[in-house]
Amino acid sequence: MEIRIKEVSKYYYSEGKTIKALDKVSLTIPSNQIFTLLGPSGCGKTTLLRCIVGLETPDSGEIIIGDEIVWSGKDGINIPTEKRGLAMVFQTYAIWPHMNVYNNVAYPLQIQKIPKEEIRKKVEKTLRFVKLEGFEKRPATNISGGQQQRVALARALVAEPKVILFDEPLSNLDAKLREETRKELRSFLSKLQITAVYVTHDQIEALALSDIIAVMHSGHIVEIGSPREIYFNANHQFVADFIGRANLFKAVVKAQEHDKTIVSSDIGTFVCQKREFPVESKVILCIRPEFIYLKKDRITEEETTGEQNVISGQIDNLIFIGEAYEGEVRIGKEHLMVKLDPETSLKKGDTVNLVVSSNHCLLVSA
Amino acid sequence: MKRDSRLTIILIIIVGFLTVCPVIMLVFGSFSEGLSAFGKFTLEKYIAAYTDPELPKIISNTVIFVLGAALVATILALFLAYLNNRTDIPGKFLFKVISITPMMIPHILFSVSWVLLLNPSNGILNLILKQFFGLENSPFNIYSLWGMILVEGLLDMPIAYLIIAPAMASFDVNLEESSRVCGAGIGQTLAKITLPVLRPAILAAFILCIVRCMASFAVPSVIGMPGRIYVLATHIYQTISVGFAVDYGKAAAIGMSVLVISITLIFLYRYLTSESEKYVTISSRGYHPTIIKLKKAKIPLFFILGLLLFILIALPVLVLIYTSLVPYSMVPSAKAFSMMSLRHWNAVIKDPISILSLKNSLFLGIFGATVGVILSLFVAYTIVRIRTKMSGILESLSFLSFSFPGIVIGIGFMWFFVRTPIYATIWTLLIGYIATYLPYGIRPLSSAFVQIHKHLEESSKVCGAGPLTTMRRIIIPLLVPGIVSGWILMATMFLRELSLSVVLSRPGSEVLAVQILRFSGDGLWGRLSALGIIMIVISTTLVALVSFIGAKLQPAIK
Repeated sequence: MEIRIKEVSKYYYSEGKTIKALDKVSLTIPSNQIFTLLGPSGCGKTTLLRCIVGLETPDSGEIIIGDEIVWSGKDGINIPTEKRGLAMVFQTYAIWPHMNVYNNVAYPLQIQKIPKEEIRKKVEKTLRFVKLEGFEKRPATNISGGQQQRVALARALVAEPKVILFDEPLSNLDAKLREETRKELRSFLSKLQITAVYVTHDQIEALALSDIIAVMHSGHIVEIGSPREIYFNANHQFVADFIGRANLFKAVVKAQEHDKTIVSSDIGTFVCQKREFPVESKVILCIRPEFIYLKKDRITEEETTGEQNVISGQIDNLIFIGEAYEGEVRIGKEHLMVKLDPETSLKKGDTVNLVVSSNHCLLVSA
Repeated sequence: MKRDSRLTIILIIIVGFLTVCPVIMLVFGSFSEGLSAFGKFTLEKYIAAYTDPELPKIISNTVIFVLGAALVATILALFLAYLNNRTDIPGKFLFKVISITPMMIPHILFSVSWVLLLNPSNGILNLILKQFFGLENSPFNIYSLWGMILVEGLLDMPIAYLIIAPAMASFDVNLEESSRVCGAGIGQTLAKITLPVLRPAILAAFILCIVRCMASFAVPSVIGMPGRIYVLATHIYQTISVGFAVDYGKAAAIGMSVLVISITLIFLYRYLTSESEKYVTISSRGYHPTIIKLKKAKIPLFFILGLLLFILIALPVLVLIYTSLVPYSMVPSAKAFSMMSLRHWNAVIKDPISILSLKNSLFLGIFGATVGVILSLFVAYTIVRIRTKMSGILESLSFLSFSFPGIVIGIGFMWFFVRTPIYATIWTLLIGYIATYLPYGIRPLSSAFVQIHKHLEESSKVCGAGPLTTMRRIIIPLLVPGIVSGWILMATMFLRELSLSVVLSRPGSEVLAVQILRFSGDGLWGRLSALGIIMIVISTTLVALVSFIGAKLQPAIK
């Protein structure tokens, strides 16, 4: 089911100040996709999710789920949460401690007054789906965090909703379990015909899980795109900086070629991905550490030709982090974060050549 | 939203009536000429009250009594809390017993049992010591300031313990450990780190004890009055009790200063408890404080703990049972046992006023606590969940009565009820009790509400359950422990209520504690003890029964 959000605003008042949690947010969440709202804490992503489910009331705008207007400021429509027919997995899982696993999962069906036998069948099927068969009688507080998480998922899925909402559901799990559960969740969701709205501040989670990511920042949607688009072709400095790691430099556009833009910056002149900025305008050059190749030897002819940028600098710092070396290369007064192969023979103090393909030199507006 | 603010307003009106009305009436009363001449402004009562030549002595007595007892209570509580949380002392469950027993044994009976043991003419312990050492005079005289301070201190110790122990338990042990790493020993760490960090909690306990001692009526009346040692509470009582020159205006004028001091202290207490919450870092999962090994000190300390338990619980009950069976006060001996009979019990059972007071107290305990808990449930919900400016007002209002000294607020209510048709009925007591003890119901319920994460309610809504279903299936079951402990607290407090009742109880609306006070005044110790034992049995049964029902209603929450 498609969700349309039209100019939704939500303000908080604290100590005489107005905080715009959502500032005229408009958004369409297509059906049967995993749609992620990604942003730092306080950006409004959870508020937006809670407005969709109806636990928070917006101050203005309109929210439409499928064909039904569930909230409208001007028409005074406000369908209560329990009538919206959605499902949600909470950050705390919200497993009811006074019920066993079966009753927790069966709850949405019991509310609908479905015959007992049918409830039993559906709960069984759902528990099997989330790999929790045999846990029915267990007190819901007597299982591990990962299992509680799956109980919460089962409870959300059992009534076969068209839309399921996730509010940072993995943030209470430890790193290893989080990775496993993320993969599991992805495979669960891809088996179902369901619209999933997923809120997280974890960019890796967002990239790994989503079909579409909307990056939010202080009450606004900054950019929407597929994980690859967001990662490789961000249009905004905030997005480029927030997703992954990025070296950002001020630069000035020097020339526009038919498929390249050429800029000059404090670390030299760069051939970059094509962006329609006027010549002489100020931009930000963004280079991700993982796309910078370091070479100690002379640069061969074929590397300099074509679309490679080559600059030289000196290694200032190298830190071994296991899967790689994280390094800092000094170029003039500037520093550039780089990522090196863990088996590299380069050392601190070495003079190196840095090679960056023009495809990985991203320009965003300053 | 609209529904919520309507609820808040209704609650503000109810709680506002309960807490503000007696205060306002007290103020008016103190400026009036008498119960029947209400409204004519006069300063006479203040002049009469504060130029009384006996007042300086009474005030100095009060100060010594209150500070002394609060100090005894706080130090004992600190000692016990440290032993329980920080040492390897055996028998830790005993601490739980110490913290809940004061609910079972009413203060007046505790005081009476000490009078029976240590009064100078025929106190049992005094008689034994006289006989044993061949003494001329009794070695102890309970009818003294010292006697009052010790008994009141023991009575208030559990209150201080309940504030200090959780603070001690949730204390971040890293603070101590880093002090140890810096080279400080156990003793130095205790003095320089542990106690200063706990200071807000300790001070809060001390202040609360001061407020309680100032409001205390059982000890001053049972122990102080026979020794002609008057404190403000008994001074006020004297001013309004039949047989003296009854003057409600003067009583209100004295009561005003007691009330002002209490309210000030309670707001100081509130500030300190919020401070102490800032100080103490709540421990995360898997937290284990370092336990100090007592080694050689283990046995003596355990002995002290056992002695305290004996003094607090076993001794008063034993003394009362014994006294209820022997014909007059005598040293336990073969002769005494041969003379035992149930005549005092018979006398009590045949005494119509005792039976009436029993019925009244039972009604007030069960019905009153039920009404009180229902009101508390709504107030706690409003304070914890709705959280608007209005619910902030409600919180302050409901907190106000925490500071109410029973006898003073009773006088305030008196000025009000005398103008209503319910004057001299049991309903005045019901309203007064709920007004005075409301915070004791609200507290366990609001902490229960705080513990129920908002998501638990919200996820029920998302699952399609309406507000009523959510209430029935999620909120109420999770609140059961809070409801049970709130109900128990209120019911036991209502059953043993004395200080408000001595003012509001009239012929026909007698209650247990007042009847016991009357027996004590008449020196009918045997009947008093019999009635007292009945009282203890009833409150213990109630507590056990309700805890049992609570446990049944609540399947397996871990």
